[in-house]
Amino acid sequence: MDTLPLPDDSTAAAPPTPDQLRELYSLMTAVRHLDISAVAWQRQGIIPGYAPELGQEAAQVGSGYAVDTSRDFVFPTYREMGVARAMGVNMVEYMSTHKATWHGGLYDPMKSRLAPIQAVVAGSVLHAVGWAHGQTLDGSDGVALTYFGDGASSQGDVHEAMNFAAVMKAPVVFFIQNNGWAISVPTERQVAGGCVAGRAAGYGMPALQVDGNDVVAVLDATRHAFAHCRAGNGPVVIEAMTYRRGPHSTSDNPGRYRSLDEERDGAGEDPLRRFRERLLSEGLADEPFFAQAQASAATQAEDIRAGLEALGPRPGSEMFDLVFQETTPVLQSQAASWREESEHV
Amino acid sequence: MAEISFPLPDLGEGLIEATVLEWLVSPGDQVERNQPLVEVETTKSAVELPSPQAGKVVRIHGGPGDRINVGEPLIVFEVPDNTAGIVGTVPKEEAPKRRVRLSAVLDED
Amino acid sequence: MSNSILEGETAGFRQTESAAGNVTVVMSMQQALNRALDEVLAENPKAVIFGEDCGRLGGVFRITDGLQSKHGENRVFDTPLAESGILGMSVGLAMAGFHPIPEVQFDGFAYPAINQIVCQIARMNYRSRGTLPMPITLRVPSFGGIRAPEHHGESLEALFAHVPGLKVVSPSNPHEAYHLLKYAATRPDPVIFMEPKSRYWQKGDVDAADGGSPEGAKVQREGRHLTLVAWGAMVARCLQVAELAAEDGIDIEVLDLRWLKPIDADALVASVRKTRRAVVVHEAPLTSGLGAEVAQLITQGCFDTLKAPVERVTGFDVPYPSGDLEDEYIPNIDRILFGIQRVLEYRRG
Repeated sequence: MDTLPLPDDSTAAAPPTPDQLRELYSLMTAVRHLDISAVAWQRQGIIPGYAPELGQEAAQVGSGYAVDTSRDFVFPTYREMGVARAMGVNMVEYMSTHKATWHGGLYDPMKSRLAPIQAVVAGSVLHAVGWAHGQTLDGSDGVALTYFGDGASSQGDVHEAMNFAAVMKAPVVFFIQNNGWAISVPTERQVAGGCVAGRAAGYGMPALQVDGNDVVAVLDATRHAFAHCRAGNGPVVIEAMTYRRGPHSTSDNPGRYRSLDEERDGAGEDPLRRFRERLLSEGLADEPFFAQAQASAATQAEDIRAGLEALGPRPGSEMFDLVFQETTPVLQSQAASWREESEHV
Repeated sequence: MAEISFPLPDLGEGLIEATVLEWLVSPGDQVERNQPLVEVETTKSAVELPSPQAGKVVRIHGGPGDRINVGEPLIVFEVPDNTAGIVGTVPKEEAPKRRVRLSAVLDED
Repeated sequence: MSNSILEGETAGFRQTESAAGNVTVVMSMQQALNRALDEVLAENPKAVIFGEDCGRLGGVFRITDGLQSKHGENRVFDTPLAESGILGMSVGLAMAGFHPIPEVQFDGFAYPAINQIVCQIARMNYRSRGTLPMPITLRVPSFGGIRAPEHHGESLEALFAHVPGLKVVSPSNPHEAYHLLKYAATRPDPVIFMEPKSRYWQKGDVDAADGGSPEGAKVQREGRHLTLVAWGAMVARCLQVAELAAEDGIDIEVLDLRWLKPIDADALVASVRKTRRAVVVHEAPLTSGLGAEVAQLITQGCFDTLKAPVERVTGFDVPYPSGDLEDEYIPNIDRILFGIQRVLEYRRG
């Protein structure tokens, strides 16, 4: 574990430039602001529910930033808002899943290179293997990046995916955000052996366990892993150790299963504050820059709120139109009676 | 709506009371778990107490300068009677609405 | 901090005494299910409850709230997050002499466990020539109506009912929930217990002493002109429809099927032989839904007296939609009234 041969293409894993570091900070700030705003919007009745990623900004932005959207493809769960933002996905279209507009979100997965939001834990991990093997069959150099958590790592599908990928040498990066909690169950009651990265050895693939609260470390690990995959060396596991600082969802009450003291001890350093201090100490950013990043984040969140509030329900006819590419007579007749008998949104 | 009250928590090191310095929230505010609620001073130090609960603040106890004993009421939240599951919402019970009327000739053959 | 439902018991449910001298208590379906499980654990030392977040959290809908602290971590425990694991492990526990009461957190999470449910739980009694019974009570928060994400609003009854070796039941109100769960959790065979999650918070009278027969269907409202057949959350909607139909002079009987396997054909036939008209209502998609089975049983038993073909008012043949569209999907009052009107208007020839 923790060993990964250096990539042949050393530029692929070059350290981020000062401009890139500042961009990473701006992205993390925007993600933090949007995450906190989304919780408030749920309290205000603008959206019915939300799954916060507070504390996971470095893990999500750092990894999402490494994606080359001209050739790679990303398979998210339902808690990857920071990844989506770092990839440049339209955030109103992304957040529409939390407004209960459309389950998978309204963004175009093919254009954005982000698969639809997935509610089944571990549901898309095998899809990443299939997509990646398709790259091998096609002779393409895209890499699949699949996200899942410590909880999802218990699902059989994850083990099947790792074994398939390793057997087929599929270019897949298995990116685990170990955030310490699967709803109410802590990692030590979830993951035998204590870490998910340790499992990679059993499948004969390299693994990196990184400080998931250090955005630069996450970016570096992900770029190394991408380069490894692109060079035809097969899959890589990255386990980013982070912490779910918020509730599982806006209706969860963590007070039922963990104390504030446990949260403080478990959460460690705030990834955003930590990165800010690093940029300051290295002279890469100053207070006006941070203020500007914060102001920009607030503007973005306001725009997203306005977009969500303006977003009406999808026409009910889409229920019928989007089931198949080639519809059936029964569906058409059901759509006709629906049109006749219901009051429509 | 129900109310849920939280006392001044045990601040450790055998401290039995604290003095309110400044409330950071007011009645009517929606606060989130872990959000700073109040700054208090003990004989050891000044500390910010984080919220143990997400909810709407109904009442706060003690103004600046007031002493509160550990275990005495500090803050009261309003919580809904019904809590949604981990996702979704609690359905509203609404009076039934109809557009369609029934008509039939019911022969009792 | 705990706001345990069990503690609520002493906080005083409203109690009333019926004419027969039975004490009824007003509680929500959540509370009724919680009480039933509490009693099952107390009465059967081999009963064990487990699943995702069932222990310390008390379940995401609080159905197992307070049970771990009361009965201990050996009786009520959290598992890692893997539904196939939860159900596969239930088989082994049953073989070891326990009565597992696993929870699958949401209907849509039963899909990853289908292999263990269909290939193992449903067949072990048969495979072992009756020597390895599977007294497993699988609780599944089911159906839609709460504006939840994908896979949190599925109606799986036809899938389960189609599998030989499984029994399926769904309560419609707190009283039924209490008695049906207590009954299901003491059976020697696997029972899928489908809890209508949109009704969890609805309060109703529970008469713990007198549940009547826990088997078969139950008439929840008597009527003369037409029988509405439903289960789970659709029973309450059909009762509303029956009240509205009464304004139009139509007297509707509401038959709560309760058991979706075995289906109580005698009750269906008895009701429809009286009313001579039937509409079956379910949230699940139309095609190959249980409505087809119900319609056939009625037709078989009432062909000579039926005034009209049995109508079905159901969800559509589409994946359960996102919250904004779920009211367009779940049978609403008008769609049910349209179905009733079609039956009332039907003329032979």
